Amino acid sequence: MTNVPEPLLKRGVTAMDNVQYPDQAVGEPFANDHKMSLRNVNVFYGDKQAIFDVNIDIARNEVIAMIGPSGCGKSTLLRSINRMNDTVEGCVVSGELTLDGEDIYTTKMDPVALRARVGMVFQKPNPFPKTIYDNVAYGPRLHGLASRRAELDEIVETSLTRAGLWNEVKDRLDQPGTGLSGGQQQRLCIARAIAISPEMILMDEPCSSLDPIATAKIEELIAELSQNYTIAIVTHSMQQAARVSHRTAYFHLGHLIEVNETEKVFTAPEHELTEAYITGRFG
Amino acid sequence: MDKLQLDQHISKQFNEDLEDIKTSMLEMGGLVEKQVGDAIKALEDADSGLAERVIEVESRIDDMEMDIDETCTTLIARRQPAASDLRLVMAVTKTIRDLERIGDEAQKVAKMAIKLSEEGVAPRGYTEVRHIGNCVRKMLNDSLDAFSRFDAEAAIATMKEDRQVDMDYKSALREMITYMMEDPRSISRSMNILWALKSLERVGDHAKNICEQVVYLVQGRDIRRKKQS
Amino acid sequence: MTDLKNGSVKQANLNLSRTEIIERSLAKRYRAEKRFRCYGIMAIVFGLMCVALLFTDIISKGYKAFAQTYIQLEVTYDANILGITDLNDPQQVALGDFQGIVKQALKNRFEGVSGRKAKRELYGVISNGAGYRLRDRLVANHQLLNQSETLWLVADDDIDTYYKSMGSDAGPFVGRMSEQRQGWIEQLTEADEVELRFNRNFFVQGDSREPELAGIRGAAMGSLFTLIITILLSFPIGVAAAVYLEEFAPRNRWTDLIEVNINNLAAVPSIIFGLLGLAIFINFFHVPRSVPLVGGLVLTLMTLPTIIISSRAAIKAVPPSIREAAIGVGASPMQVVLHHVLPLAMPGMMTGAIIGMAQALGETAPLLMIGMVAFIVDVPGGFTDPSTVLPVQIFLWADSPERAFMEKTSAAIMVLLAFLIVMNTLAVILRKKMERRW
Repeated sequence: MTNVPEPLLKRGVTAMDNVQYPDQAVGEPFANDHKMSLRNVNVFYGDKQAIFDVNIDIARNEVIAMIGPSGCGKSTLLRSINRMNDTVEGCVVSGELTLDGEDIYTTKMDPVALRARVGMVFQKPNPFPKTIYDNVAYGPRLHGLASRRAELDEIVETSLTRAGLWNEVKDRLDQPGTGLSGGQQQRLCIARAIAISPEMILMDEPCSSLDPIATAKIEELIAELSQNYTIAIVTHSMQQAARVSHRTAYFHLGHLIEVNETEKVFTAPEHELTEAYITGRFG
Repeated sequence: MDKLQLDQHISKQFNEDLEDIKTSMLEMGGLVEKQVGDAIKALEDADSGLAERVIEVESRIDDMEMDIDETCTTLIARRQPAASDLRLVMAVTKTIRDLERIGDEAQKVAKMAIKLSEEGVAPRGYTEVRHIGNCVRKMLNDSLDAFSRFDAEAAIATMKEDRQVDMDYKSALREMITYMMEDPRSISRSMNILWALKSLERVGDHAKNICEQVVYLVQGRDIRRKKQS
Repeated sequence: MTDLKNGSVKQANLNLSRTEIIERSLAKRYRAEKRFRCYGIMAIVFGLMCVALLFTDIISKGYKAFAQTYIQLEVTYDANILGITDLNDPQQVALGDFQGIVKQALKNRFEGVSGRKAKRELYGVISNGAGYRLRDRLVANHQLLNQSETLWLVADDDIDTYYKSMGSDAGPFVGRMSEQRQGWIEQLTEADEVELRFNRNFFVQGDSREPELAGIRGAAMGSLFTLIITILLSFPIGVAAAVYLEEFAPRNRWTDLIEVNINNLAAVPSIIFGLLGLAIFINFFHVPRSVPLVGGLVLTLMTLPTIIISSRAAIKAVPPSIREAAIGVGASPMQVVLHHVLPLAMPGMMTGAIIGMAQALGETAPLLMIGMVAFIVDVPGGFTDPSTVLPVQIFLWADSPERAFMEKTSAAIMVLLAFLIVMNTLAVILRKKMERRW
C-alpha cells in the first residue's frame, strides 16, 4: 500500500448531503477472474433512477456482500443480475451485465435460462406449499435435469445435504415445506436454489426474518457454499457482511461508493460515507 | 486541527463511551508521565521518599489499566464498533498496555533510586540518565499529545526520536562499561544506573508503540515492524 | 394530588387526580363498547329471526306437498271398457279408455249414484292421471287383462286439500267440495280406504295442470342442465380472463377500461342479459328457444363478471413471494401460473364460481326473456329439450289458481333451497380440501 489516501477521518462527516459521490467506486471494484461483470449499469423505475453508473466485478467463488442504508438500491441491483426486475413494470436496466462474458440483457439470453444459472434466495423464506421433496425437486423437474426417479432422489438428497438440512428432514420428505421452522424453511429455499446447480446464488437479506441461531446456520452454509458457488448477498446486518463475505460493496442512494476486502471495509474504509455508515454516524 | 468524529454517532451513549475511554486513557497517560518524571527526579536527587511514592502510585496505574481494559471489552461486546471506532478501541487497549509497562519501568527506576540512596551515589551516569530521561519523557508526552489530537504526522515524527534514544542509550552503555572496567568497586552502583537507563530506553520503545497505534488509529494502516525511512 | 391544571381542564376536574379522570372516562368508554356490542347482537338476532320466519313459513306451508292423498279401489281391467283386443298393438293401448275402468271401479264402490252431475262429481274423486298408472301396469303385466286388483290411486287435488285439512283446528277446507263428495270421503275414511302416502309423483313428474300430478323433476332437471352449461362455459372463460388480466396483461388504459367494464357488467340488471341472449343467441345464432342451452349461455354472460372478479381477487391473494420463488428457480410465466398461482387461487376461484352458480340458479328474469317460462310437461332429457327451471317453476305455480298449488310452491322453494345448500356445502368442502397454507 504505497499511496495512502489523505486521512479521511480528518474531514468532517457532519453534513452528509454535501458529500460528493465518487465517479468511480473507491477500493477494488474489479477482479481478474470475474464471474459476473457490471459496467455502467443504470436502473430506472419509470422516471426514477435507482442505480447510477455502477461498475463492479464479482469474482469466481467469492462471497460479495452488498450493504448500505435502506433504499440504496442494493436489492435492485441484485435483482438485475438474474433479471428478476423484468417482472417489475416500468423497470429499465441499461449498461452491460455479463455472466462469464455473455451479456445477460441481450435477446439471445433467455431470462428463464439465466435464472437456472443464477439462483436466488429471498428475504422471506418462501417454500412452495408442497412437500419438502417437491420443493427441492421442482427446479430439476422444470428444467428436466433428472430423467429417472433415482436421479431426482439423488439431486434432492445432495441439495438438502449441502443445505445442511438432510439430517433434519430425511424422515419427513413428504411433509409440507411450510411446516418447517423459519430457519429450516430458508435452508430449504437454499436447497431448492442449489438443486438446479446454478453457477451463482443471489441472496436478498436471507436472514432478516431469522433468529440468531438460524442465522448462524445460514452463515455457516454460505461459507461452505462459497467453495462451489459465486455468492452475492445483500444484507442489512453489517456484522453479517463482516462475517460471511470476502469483499464488501457499499451503496449509497443508488451509487456504488466503495468496494474493498471485507477486513478493510470494516477496519479502515476508504470513503467517508462508508465510514459513516459502518460506524453508525448517519442522521 | 480536526479531530476524530467521536460525537457523530446516532447513539449518544456510544459517543460518550468512546469519549470516556479516550479521556481515561489520557488521564492514565498523564499519571504515567508524571511517574516517569518523578522516578528520574528521585534517582537524580537520591530521594528515596519520592521513589517510595512512585512505587506506591504504580498500583493505581495497574488499576486504571484494568478499568479501561474492561470498559473497552464491554464496549466491543455491546457496540461492536467498526472502522474508526474499532481502531480507536483497539488503539486504546494497546496503548494502555504500553502505558502500564511504562509505569512498570518507572517503578523499576524508582527502585534503583532507592538502592542507590542506600548504597551510595554512583560515580557517573547521572548526565546520561537526565538526558535520556528528558528524551523519553518528551517522546511520551508527544505520543500522548498526538493521540489526543489524532495527529498521525506528529506521531511519525515522534517515532523517529526513538532511534536517537537507542543510540544515546548504546553510547551511555559503552561509557558505563568503560567506567566499570576502570573502577570495579563501583560496578554494583553503576549497574543500578545501567538498569535505570535500560528502563528509560524501554519507556522510549513503549512511547514509540503508542505512536504506532496513533498512526493505525488515524490512517488505518499497521506500521509495526516496518522500516521507517 | 398531581397538578394538571391547564386551560382546557374544567373547573370540576380540578379536584380530581389524573387516575380518577382516566377511570371516569374508562367507565364511559366501556359503556360505549357494551352498547356497540349490543347493536351488533341485535342486528344478528334480527337477521336470524327473518331467516327463521322465512323457513318456518315455507316449511309449514310446503311440507304437506310431500304427502299425497290416495284412495283404495278395486279396479278391473275390463277389455271391453278399455276397448283393447290385442295388448301388443301400441295403438290400441295408447287409445285405451283406462279412465273408464277407474270410473267403473268408482261406480262399483259407491253404488246408487245416479244423475249426470252426481256421476261427474264421483268420477272427479280420482285424479285424471290414475288412468296412466293403470296403463303402465297393464303394459308391464299382460296377465292383468280382464283381471281385478286392489290399488291405491291418486285422489283429485280438491279431495287432497280437503283430506289434509280435515284434522286442522280451522276445520276442513271445503272450497269447491260438494256435500256429496264430503260424504264419500267420510265413507272412505271410515272404511280406511283413504290415506296419505309419500308423494313420489312430486319428484319424478314434470309439470302438470293437475296439482296432484305436478312434479318438480322437470324444473330441477332443467336447472341442472342449465347450470351445467353455465359452469362449463363461465368457469373456464372467467378463470382464463382473470389469469390473463392479472398475470399477463400490461397495465395500460385499455386494461383499465376492461376492468371498469367488467365491474360495471356485474352490476347490470339481469333482465338485460336476457334481452341480450334473446337478440344474439336466439335471433342471430338461431339457438332454439326455451332450452337449457340458451339458458346456460345467458346465465354464463350473467355470472362471468362475478367469476372474473372473484378469480382476480383470489389470484391477487396469492403471495408474491411464491411467484418470486418460482421465477427464481427458472419457471416460465406460464409455469408460474399453472404450477403455483392457479392451485393456490383455486379455492377462492371455486368459491366465486359457486356463488355465481347460486346466483344463476336463483335467476328468473333473463330466462323469462328467452322463453324458459313455458308450460312444459315432459322432463327434459338433454341440453336441447325445452324445459323450465326451478325459480320459474315456482313463479308459475305461485301464479296458478288451484289451492293445491300453494303447497307445491312452498315445496318447490324448499327444493330450490336444498339445491342451494348442497351447492354451498360443496363449495365449503372443496375449499377446505384445496386450501393450502403458505
